[in-house]
Amino acid sequence: MTGAAVLAALAHAAGSFGPGLLAAAVGTPVAILAACAISRGRRRSPALMVLAPLPALAAALLAGFGAPFSYKSRAFDVTLALDAPGAMLLGAAALLWIGAAFYAGADGRGGDGDGRFRASWLLTLMGSLGVFVASDLLTFFLAFALVSLPAYGLIIADDNASRRAGAVYMAFTVAGETLLLMGFVLLAAGEPNGSLQIRDVVAALPGSPWGGAALALVVAGFVMKIGLAPLHGWMPLAYTAAPLPAAAVLSGAAVKAGVIGLIRFLPFSHALPAWGEGLAILGLFSAFYGVALGITQTNPKTILAYSSVSQMGVIAAVAGMGLASGDLRAPLDTAFYAAHHVLVKGALFLAIGACAAAGARRHWLAFLPAAALALSLAGLPFTGGALAKLAVKGTLGSGAIGALASFSAAGTTLLMLHFLFRLARNPSPDRGARTSGQLLSAWFAMALASILAPWLLFPLTGGHLSDALTPAALRESLWPMLPGAALALPLWRWGGRLPHPPAGDIVVIGEKIIRASYGAGAALERVEAGIRQWPAAAMALLGIAIILGAAMATGF
Amino acid sequence: MQAITTALTATMGGLLLALAIILPVAGVLLSFVLGGRAAERIALYLMPAGLGVAAMIALGVWRSGAPLVYLLGGWPPPLGIALRADGFSAVMLLTTALVILCAGLFARANFPTPAGVNEARAPFAFWILLQGLWAALNMVFLGGDLFNLYVALELLTFAAVPLVCLDGRAETLLAALRYLVFALFGSVLYLLGAALLYGAYGTLDIGLLSSRISASPAVWAAAALMTTGLLAKTALFPLHLWLPPAHANAPAAASAILSALVVKASFFITVRLWFDVLPSLPVETPAAILATLGSLAILFGSVLALRQERLKLLIAYSTVAQIGYLFLMFPLAAGLHPWTADAWSGGVLQTLSHAFAKAAMFLAAGLVAETLGHDRISGLRGLGKVMPMSVFVLGLGGLSLMGLPPSGGFTAKWLLLMASVRSGQWPWAIVMLAGGLLAGGYVYRVLAPAFASADLSLKAPAPRNRERIALALALCAILLGFAPSGFFAFLQIGRPALTAIP
Repeated sequence: MTGAAVLAALAHAAGSFGPGLLAAAVGTPVAILAACAISRGRRRSPALMVLAPLPALAAALLAGFGAPFSYKSRAFDVTLALDAPGAMLLGAAALLWIGAAFYAGADGRGGDGDGRFRASWLLTLMGSLGVFVASDLLTFFLAFALVSLPAYGLIIADDNASRRAGAVYMAFTVAGETLLLMGFVLLAAGEPNGSLQIRDVVAALPGSPWGGAALALVVAGFVMKIGLAPLHGWMPLAYTAAPLPAAAVLSGAAVKAGVIGLIRFLPFSHALPAWGEGLAILGLFSAFYGVALGITQTNPKTILAYSSVSQMGVIAAVAGMGLASGDLRAPLDTAFYAAHHVLVKGALFLAIGACAAAGARRHWLAFLPAAALALSLAGLPFTGGALAKLAVKGTLGSGAIGALASFSAAGTTLLMLHFLFRLARNPSPDRGARTSGQLLSAWFAMALASILAPWLLFPLTGGHLSDALTPAALRESLWPMLPGAALALPLWRWGGRLPHPPAGDIVVIGEKIIRASYGAGAALERVEAGIRQWPAAAMALLGIAIILGAAMATGF
Repeated sequence: MQAITTALTATMGGLLLALAIILPVAGVLLSFVLGGRAAERIALYLMPAGLGVAAMIALGVWRSGAPLVYLLGGWPPPLGIALRADGFSAVMLLTTALVILCAGLFARANFPTPAGVNEARAPFAFWILLQGLWAALNMVFLGGDLFNLYVALELLTFAAVPLVCLDGRAETLLAALRYLVFALFGSVLYLLGAALLYGAYGTLDIGLLSSRISASPAVWAAAALMTTGLLAKTALFPLHLWLPPAHANAPAAASAILSALVVKASFFITVRLWFDVLPSLPVETPAAILATLGSLAILFGSVLALRQERLKLLIAYSTVAQIGYLFLMFPLAAGLHPWTADAWSGGVLQTLSHAFAKAAMFLAAGLVAETLGHDRISGLRGLGKVMPMSVFVLGLGGLSLMGLPPSGGFTAKWLLLMASVRSGQWPWAIVMLAGGLLAGGYVYRVLAPAFASADLSLKAPAPRNRERIALALALCAILLGFAPSGFFAFLQIGRPALTAIP
């Protein structure tokens, strides 16, 4: 069969199986959760957790290589659709969820007695897959809440640090949901025909009387989800506290709910230079801020978290520049860059456990793929990272922002070398890490997938693989890495003299403000205690009657 | 021929309205006659029957697309008294039947008549009061006459107050006394207002009043007095002094009903008064005053809930806050605008989903208190291990209170927010969002310790069957989040705003 025939067959299959597969992709996790209510399901739960993302992976392959398709539920007001950017992220996320579930099973999590982890995992999974396929506002909001709230159960454990991380995470999450809710309400109110389809409300956004407020709120909500500085405080705390497989899926897959949010909700068909450049500048600030704070950290998990702050900054910069110029290719390019990050960041978290599990003698066996992946994040030639940088080059443009964005690779190189150095130095930071063949094989499979998948996906963005292999392209991806590598030496030598801000840095200020607000609460409590006295209540009764009467009299 | 069948079904539907009231009243009388042990059995047999009647009324309203009306004795008002069920009535009847049924099943373990005695005071009183309460609620939701509604309200108060102090402890007696005195203040004001209206128009029938009413000092004095009286009974801030002690000290099943249904009854009459009796009058300013009080209720109730040491008090203060949301409906659903239907649906949905969520949470809190022997929030660490289902119920209820999907609370908030944006009334939107954040805070305060793994000493084994009852109610609150659009059309049935103007 020729390639064209295969594609035609895939497109045909997408038409006939696609819709059902979409429903299955989102429904399977919750079905498995229900199966775990009975004890036979519970005993098999580690295996079921591995299988849960499979329908999503199949749907992603079908839509990515076949044709887009959609699904509309008859019973509920739920509409799902899968297009190329969604499919790319859905496929990458599903792969990571499978690998991480395999790893979690080897790590002894989510089994019969670990109901909290299992339920949190499956619900977060459902939301994580759901955001990529939701095609109306309410379904998206539901999926976004699912990918955000139950993750609390993945972060917390029995120590004060994780409780604090969980509390900070929840505060950010609930605040972000609130912003997003208001933004969505404004989007819906601005759509003249009453449609709730994301496509329609975004198309109506530029003409809506509340367009500016809606865009600001929605972007703020997604920026909180992807943890751009200065709203990044929860990220280092949560990823440091969460067990490795949970940190992997949160940093790799769950955070992309914010990225797909930007992809879906920014009106790329209208060039909005001020909005776009504002977002890009915020993103670039985050890209360098993450590096600056990351190199002061010693825990490999925390370093990876700050790397996420930085990488999400680059993604925001790409999306912002796409919006600034009204670039319709930006969604797909952003999705490709993000898909690469899904796999690599997830795999790197697993690498921390794999290096510990491999033991001193075989440490290099686990370490070498980790090194390749870490440098892939910085855009090392011949890696998926180089392809990702190439894909977003056009959108970033050749101006100051484009130059700064490509220079951020120097920072990433430095931060990743720092990570590798700490990974080699303290191989066992996580409690309960144990030597196990399944754990190592989960890591190798994940690493392999992360290295190969970008090469398979790149042609879908419309690029040619050969473009990445020209001497000019190689040179261009290599040169920003050199200053980073050069700086790594002094960091390694004198890094100990850097200040050591705590993980989450400025979140401490936010916590102080919250604590200070307890005083206001106490004051309100005193006022309320006064109101609850009989004389006050009797006066209130009288007063309300008089005021209402007077208001009516003046109204008439 | 068709006219005859329509008329016939209307009468059939009308008879159902009477049956909805007769059934619990007959239960009360039968319980008195047969006494003791029989009261529980009668109540529990009547509850499913009542649920069936409520369902048939809802079906009737839905099939006819118009309110069901029943004239007692066949006399039209103003001579006779009319019972009337529109969309709002029908859903309230259904909710009442469901919550009462669940609370009744739940209370069997708390109020059994001990073996060997024919009658025990507390169980006998409980089962009779429960049926009396139910009769009064149905009278409120079906009443088409302001004096009728007054009688129903009084019945409601006299059935609800003793439920608070069934155990006879000094603090519950004090709470009940507070409740009684304040509710009576409210009754006096309501009656005064009703008398003014009767003096001016010679009728208290809602339908007749709404067509005759005009702007006059008597009307605005009457409206202000009646509304204030109803607010006192609804415990809208700053008239909430009686609610936290009464709701937090009552037996769990009673707390559930008081928070879910009893405060909604006086709210329901307020809605009747403002949307059915007064709609032809300009009410912008007073409606804004009501919503301002509602906003203060959200702020104070939520912050106070954040600062409580006991679970039941936290939930009671959350009721103070959630009642506040109901009053945002007044400025948003007033008049005839493109957004009023959304605001109306949102207000009604908030009433329903809070009823289910709060009933579920009070039942779960009662189980927690029975199992642990206390309900101090600081002592809930590790609750998730021993009572996972109760923690789940508290979580689902909390989801609806916070207004997060999937839940009725989310849909309600969405609709109210849409209405406030479309009508340009921004302050209410900000209040709603802030209330959601604060609710997130107090729900977190309950759930976070429950997730910790500490060893709890149990006074009694966790009762799984009764946890399931609470779960069923919580799931109702969640299911409301999946309500199809036909449900919202149903809620509009009988709204004067839609029928009066073409």
